[in-house]
Amino acid sequence: MTDGTIINPPEDRPSSLWRDAWRRLRRNRLAVAGLVVLAVLVFVAAFGPWLTPYDFLSQNLDARNLPPSLGHPFGTDDLGRDVMSRVIYGARTAFLVAVLVTVVAVLIGVVLGAIAGFYGGRFDKTLMWVTDMTMSVPQLLLVVVINASLKQPISLWMEARYMETMNPLYRNSAIIDFVLVFGSMALISWPPYARLVRAQVLSIRNRPYVTAARALGLTNRIILTRYVMPNAVGPLIVAISAGLGTAMVLESAFSFLGIGVNPPTPSWGNMISDGLRVWTNYPHLLLAPAAVLAVVTVAFNFLGDGLNDALNPKGQK
Amino acid sequence: MNALLDIRGLTIDIDRDSGPARVVDGIDLTVAEGESLGIVGESGCGKSLTMLSLVGLLPNRIRATGGVADFAGKDLLAMSSEELRRLRGSQIGFIFQDPMTSLNPVMRVGAQIAEALVYQSGMAKPAAMERAAELLELVGIPSPRDRLMAYPHELSGGMRQRVMIAIGLAGSPRLLIADEPTTALDVTIQAQIVDLVRDLKDRFGMSVVWITHDLALIAGLADRIAVLYAGTVVEDSPVDVLFERPTHPYTRGLLASLPTLTDKPMSRLPSIAGTPPEPGRRPPGCPFAPRCALVTAVCTTSVPRLAPVAGSAPGHRAACFVTAGEGAS
Amino acid sequence: MTAPLLSIRNLTKEFPVRLGAFGERAATVHALDCLNIDISEGETLSLVGESGCGKSTTGYCVLNIQRPTSGSVIYAGTDIAQLDDDGMRPFRRDLQIVFQDPYSTLNPRMTIGEALAEPILFHGLARKSEIRDRLHQLLADVGLSERFASRYPHELSGGQRQRVAIARALACQPRFIVCDEAISALDVSVQAQILNLLLDLQQKYGLTYLFIAHDLAVVRHISDRVGVMYLGRLAELAPAAALFVQPLHPYTRALLSAVPSTDPRAARTRQRLQGEVPSPLAPPPGCRFHTRCPLARAQCRSDVPPLREVVSGHSVACHAVSSPTATNWEHSPA
Repeated sequence: MTDGTIINPPEDRPSSLWRDAWRRLRRNRLAVAGLVVLAVLVFVAAFGPWLTPYDFLSQNLDARNLPPSLGHPFGTDDLGRDVMSRVIYGARTAFLVAVLVTVVAVLIGVVLGAIAGFYGGRFDKTLMWVTDMTMSVPQLLLVVVINASLKQPISLWMEARYMETMNPLYRNSAIIDFVLVFGSMALISWPPYARLVRAQVLSIRNRPYVTAARALGLTNRIILTRYVMPNAVGPLIVAISAGLGTAMVLESAFSFLGIGVNPPTPSWGNMISDGLRVWTNYPHLLLAPAAVLAVVTVAFNFLGDGLNDALNPKGQK
Repeated sequence: MNALLDIRGLTIDIDRDSGPARVVDGIDLTVAEGESLGIVGESGCGKSLTMLSLVGLLPNRIRATGGVADFAGKDLLAMSSEELRRLRGSQIGFIFQDPMTSLNPVMRVGAQIAEALVYQSGMAKPAAMERAAELLELVGIPSPRDRLMAYPHELSGGMRQRVMIAIGLAGSPRLLIADEPTTALDVTIQAQIVDLVRDLKDRFGMSVVWITHDLALIAGLADRIAVLYAGTVVEDSPVDVLFERPTHPYTRGLLASLPTLTDKPMSRLPSIAGTPPEPGRRPPGCPFAPRCALVTAVCTTSVPRLAPVAGSAPGHRAACFVTAGEGAS
Repeated sequence: MTAPLLSIRNLTKEFPVRLGAFGERAATVHALDCLNIDISEGETLSLVGESGCGKSTTGYCVLNIQRPTSGSVIYAGTDIAQLDDDGMRPFRRDLQIVFQDPYSTLNPRMTIGEALAEPILFHGLARKSEIRDRLHQLLADVGLSERFASRYPHELSGGQRQRVAIARALACQPRFIVCDEAISALDVSVQAQILNLLLDLQQKYGLTYLFIAHDLAVVRHISDRVGVMYLGRLAELAPAAALFVQPLHPYTRALLSAVPSTDPRAARTRQRLQGEVPSPLAPPPGCRFHTRCPLARAQCRSDVPPLREVVSGHSVACHAVSSPTATNWEHSPA
């Protein structure tokens, strides 16, 4: 009987969606291991300069190519620099690049994908065409082409600005490297995010609660930001986790090829590249950065898988 | 009558993160040879899981944890998955709720029926196709030979459900289990399917278990009805007796709350307050006690057992301290 | 007769679709074909029919959630079928909808309180300071305690969610609510609760319902008038009492006969409608029911039967029925 009777909610509240996901994630040992590895790495990257026993640039020509020892846990390189310090500093580079690239790519992807999926029409068609084009060209090739074609004009422009303003900032070639390399990385990384968000939005925009919001007369902007997007974040988080790992590998690959971070700034990629040349004599120079890169990549994959299972539970309650 | 299927004390648990939660809590059911049993209950009452457990098709993390299910002299719950696989289709046929997702969308329907035959009875492919056409004709599909080559999406919902029934019948089973086979269908098609299954049952003398939430739907189909609530059988009765003399307060409430073509329009329907308990959150005592209008002190402490309803027809049993007289343990 | 609250005139909806594995064939779903209905203030008009009959499409087109292909919906002197989103906004407060599936009708990331407050604040119907009282009252109206306001949809049962969906529809104090199969997905014992609630609210607020359903017993219980739809057209429109006592259209008779009865003996002796609903991609010419009709004659295959009022308030679209007494039922072979 409904008259007068008021239903009370049950006292014991089931846990929230996020808390449920967190609990499922915690039960996944591989994901937790991945999370721990990444936490350690973030800590090391953040506080690297205060943790490293040596400066990553300080050379000691009397102690070149030393094998791992207590003083130099990962040994030293051909200029007598401490490899562990350089690996730690490389973590900073890797994280900085990965986070910057991913943030930019996700921002572009989310905005474009959401608009395309929600409004459809010509914008959607154009966007899909652009993502198809971008994704069909090999990534490395694309970055190399962008770099090759833009590096010189930008350097010239910066030089000109320097002459005008005498601001030393314009003489800093590291900025060009960063902006160019990582800008082009972001440019090739956003299409998958855009496609993912678009697909999510396409499926969510026809859910009854979205139709109900339209029936309430709410504006498209409110519907998109409060009803559609909050329900699309689950798969996006999984994609971001995987994307961070991919961006790190990509950065290493570019640096390995010599188009990314330039020496003497340490990057795992250029360290591997250097190590590869002498690996028969000094395998530790190759092994240290390669092993760390491998561990980090695997950690991101485990975490991504775990997040996927935790956020999209199927067939279990 | 001989019992073809005899379930005693069946319990089924869901493995939850927080520990096992009981969904089916000691169900007793029998199906005689040639009998049709209707199992009625609301979502979450365990009606589908009970039947799925018999043929080893329970979903992940859900397990039968106790009881026996005697089918033609063998305990189904103790069988290996290989034995069960052989039993499915040949001895026990299954029809599911959603004919769209239960059929393989990329396989022609003829091939799907024939496959069942080839695997079950080792029939040769051409003979199996021949038999598939016969089966389609049997379930009332016009021009069956042409339909053999159709893909599921080319058929309407009612036709797909007929194909499912043909697959269910392929091995000439002794028991056909239909799990809400008409829920997704329109009223007029629903009625056709109910009629079809009744005719087939009469022709082949199979036993039928029909799971549904719609009491009225199986009134015309079942010989006997078992009403399930929160994982237990609360009433089990011959069909005409159940509608004439519903005994358990839940059955009475269900029947009263159904609008019919003869009640007084615009009147308030007598409704059962509240909602069924979640698995794992069952109250002690009678599971229906918190929603029951006739609740007494004993109902909240002890669990009533199925007992004969005094003064009613033989075979009419209910699990209630108040309306079924005795039965307290 | 007072002026209708809402007039539906020649409402037509066609969906273009693409068929074939590569979408190479264009086709049109004829969902709704020239529908005419007046809905009076305070009444419950039900639309019944099988899937594909266009009853839900009618509900969506009336609210302009789906834009009709042609025709008009006159509300308060305005043809709202022609309005865009901005033009529609002031009317949204008056015209609301409750959906079928209680599990997907609420935004899982919003609490019940947020979901209910959103339309009130958006339309400026209450100040922030008053919102608490308003929520309390809304929840009380649908039989829920105030404490639900801080809960998320996944903490609620199906029936409770449907109560919240009704409260959300009530939030803007509407005059007209479309109930699109609003109780079909609920458990039997909960259906009666929600039906009672809808009846109570109608009495309390003088609401007008367009009730879309396939369950004839439910429809008979709560409707003043019933429209029976078949493949996008009205087959019969009559007061509920008349329709169920004296159904005139052969399709209505068949539908009624298919309703399961709780009398086991009656249930085994019914007449059956053969065949299935033809595809709305290629509806039959003439009377769309003629492919399944026991009375079909040559005329039915070529001419569309108009909806004629044969008794006061009771209209039927059938060549075989000219008045409640002069039908050719008796001569039919069926």
